[in-house]
Amino acid sequence: MSLAWVSKLALAAGLLASPTIGWAQSVNISYLTHWSPETVALLDAAAKDYARTNPDVTVTVRAVPFGDLLTTLRSQGGSSEGPTIGGIYDLWLPELARDKLVAPAPDTVAGEVRTGWPAGVVSAASVGGTLYGIPNEIDVYALNYNKELFKQAGITAAPKTWSELKNAAQKLTRQDAGQQGFGMINSWAAGVVHPFASLLVSNGGELVKDGKPMLDSPQAGETFQLYEDLIKSGASDPAMATADANTTGPFLDNFVSGKTGMIIMANWWESALKGGMGDKFSNIATAPIPVGPSGDKPHSISYSWMTVVNANAGQAEQKVAWDFLAWLNSPKSGKNGASAMSDILMSMGILPTRTSDIEAHKDKLGSEFLSGYVSVLADAKPFPVVPGGQEFSESLQQTLEALQYGQLSAKDAQANAQADAVSILERAAK
Amino acid sequence: MIKTYRASAGIMLAPAVTLIGIFILLPMLLTIWLSFQDWSTQTPFSNASFIGFDNFREIFGPTSVGRDFKRALLNTAIYTALSVILILPLSVALGLMVYQRDVAGGTALRTVLFSTYMVPMIAVTLVWSKLYSPSEGPLNQMLGLAGIGPQPWLSSPRSALISIVVLNVWQQIGYFTVLAVAGLTQIPGSLYEAATLDGANRREQFRFITLPLLRRTLLFSAVIAIINAVQVFEPVALITQGGPVGSTNVLTYHIRRVGIERAQGGLGSAMAVMLMLALVVVVCALFAFANRKDDE
Repeated sequence: MSLAWVSKLALAAGLLASPTIGWAQSVNISYLTHWSPETVALLDAAAKDYARTNPDVTVTVRAVPFGDLLTTLRSQGGSSEGPTIGGIYDLWLPELARDKLVAPAPDTVAGEVRTGWPAGVVSAASVGGTLYGIPNEIDVYALNYNKELFKQAGITAAPKTWSELKNAAQKLTRQDAGQQGFGMINSWAAGVVHPFASLLVSNGGELVKDGKPMLDSPQAGETFQLYEDLIKSGASDPAMATADANTTGPFLDNFVSGKTGMIIMANWWESALKGGMGDKFSNIATAPIPVGPSGDKPHSISYSWMTVVNANAGQAEQKVAWDFLAWLNSPKSGKNGASAMSDILMSMGILPTRTSDIEAHKDKLGSEFLSGYVSVLADAKPFPVVPGGQEFSESLQQTLEALQYGQLSAKDAQANAQADAVSILERAAK
Repeated sequence: MIKTYRASAGIMLAPAVTLIGIFILLPMLLTIWLSFQDWSTQTPFSNASFIGFDNFREIFGPTSVGRDFKRALLNTAIYTALSVILILPLSVALGLMVYQRDVAGGTALRTVLFSTYMVPMIAVTLVWSKLYSPSEGPLNQMLGLAGIGPQPWLSSPRSALISIVVLNVWQQIGYFTVLAVAGLTQIPGSLYEAATLDGANRREQFRFITLPLLRRTLLFSAVIAIINAVQVFEPVALITQGGPVGSTNVLTYHIRRVGIERAQGGLGSAMAVMLMLALVVVVCALFAFANRKDDE
């Protein structure tokens, strides 16, 4: 065969194969998150890094406010055109898995997660023993306080018990200056329920045990009473506690501007505090949750987030999505043996969960602000992940807000919360 | 001849009737059917199972589902009533002001008034959320200059819904003022001239000429204002999330939460049917009231 014929045949074969190759290799996937534009930029950069070795893959990042994240996943996740990857809160997983909106992790990914992450975190990303997501962050609650305000009020140490908490809150309150001792949160379910739950577990109680609500326990009664006492004494002002759809708003503004002495919040708001306070961020310190009269030692609530893959996306998209997530969470993608995901999380002050990531970020996790959170992690109790959990949270939120605004007494709030929780969890379990 | 006429009328009406059937009647009938089913919005319609009036019993029952729905229904009713009560008189008052042709700047005032309606609700919401800010908000700063202490606005269950109403009135008033002006232009000037000759003062002219002849315009405005108010969503979703203590949880926001976030499609549909029925009853009552006045 002459060279000319060989060239012609090669060209013809190339022309025939090129559309097939192009179709088979070019995959577009999308990543839905609730992160801020600065953090989305970091994720975009990581996606570009991935594209260097996978030039046929395009990852588009899309962000919505936290308040719209679940709705977006539910309304668009049923379609192959919906987001391929979504960052979700573990409380949502049982119902998203039940409704077949999220895909089980492939065996290779599941095997790596089971060996590389702590067992408790793996279990929060699983339903009925099947792993559905790659865990990325864990959040835990602790007491944040303003050292400058403590100094002005003559308080030398963070409160360790509820009676010390009430005393400190009273001393920090200056109603004439619009200053409250202890900040609560309202208009945001997790912001209302998680601090309450942290105080409850620090008083030896639980929200849910074996799928049954435990809000009728004496420990829960004491926690509702603590809220009533703080409100009635004027040490906590519900009008300073509102949050908006982006989980910011007056509750954050008041703490940042030194109008709130203490507040129970999760580690992830470090970046919001730094952004709002600048140099004054050094005034903020972290301490364990004060222990209640029925508690033995400080406990706290933790919850985790994970990335899941849309079960209705095409097979090629699902395959690429898992590959991208495995890379994003691997020690190869970040700096100094950390994963790119953990680098992104640490930029917000969020604790990563992969064992190798915790080791790689040991120095930063030892900062004055974050070390307070790392120290309470061992005794933290995971927020109960049960079917109907989101509705249960929203219902408890309503009751606690009614207590904050004096519409319910502590006793009535406890009775209402338990009755509502029983009805919601029973219905969801059917 | 009549047969041909009917056939051609049918052919000409068919496209519109088909579109209305597909995009309006069918979804309405589907919502009514779903309200009697136990159905998750994440499953196909074939998974729905008939449960009679259980969804309606639940939304009017004593559990948290019923309590939240009744609260949302009441909030929507209060929001709608306050919006209409404020918008109608204000639109007539502003309409009378900008209708005065001999006053300088009337056209400019009309443009400024209508411009609020052209601003997207999402932008209005974001700006007002800052105006209402308890610590740094300009509203509280202005009150402070007048010696009045800071108001909680959106942070108190007593004032949050009213604050959202004010935002709505500010945004909508321009549109309703234009409607009022359109109504005023339909009133013959000769009636005012005759009334002046008969010795009627301005107040009497307004009461016995302007208001009665504006009735049809006001009826239209009221119906549109009610429909707009019932559909309120953005300010609640963006600023208050239905709080505090559910004080701004209106039905559209609540239906979205139940039907989409919690995937309880049957319950959400039952709530949507109740909203639709309430709207039909209110609008029919309004028309019946206006017709009775016409007969009188």
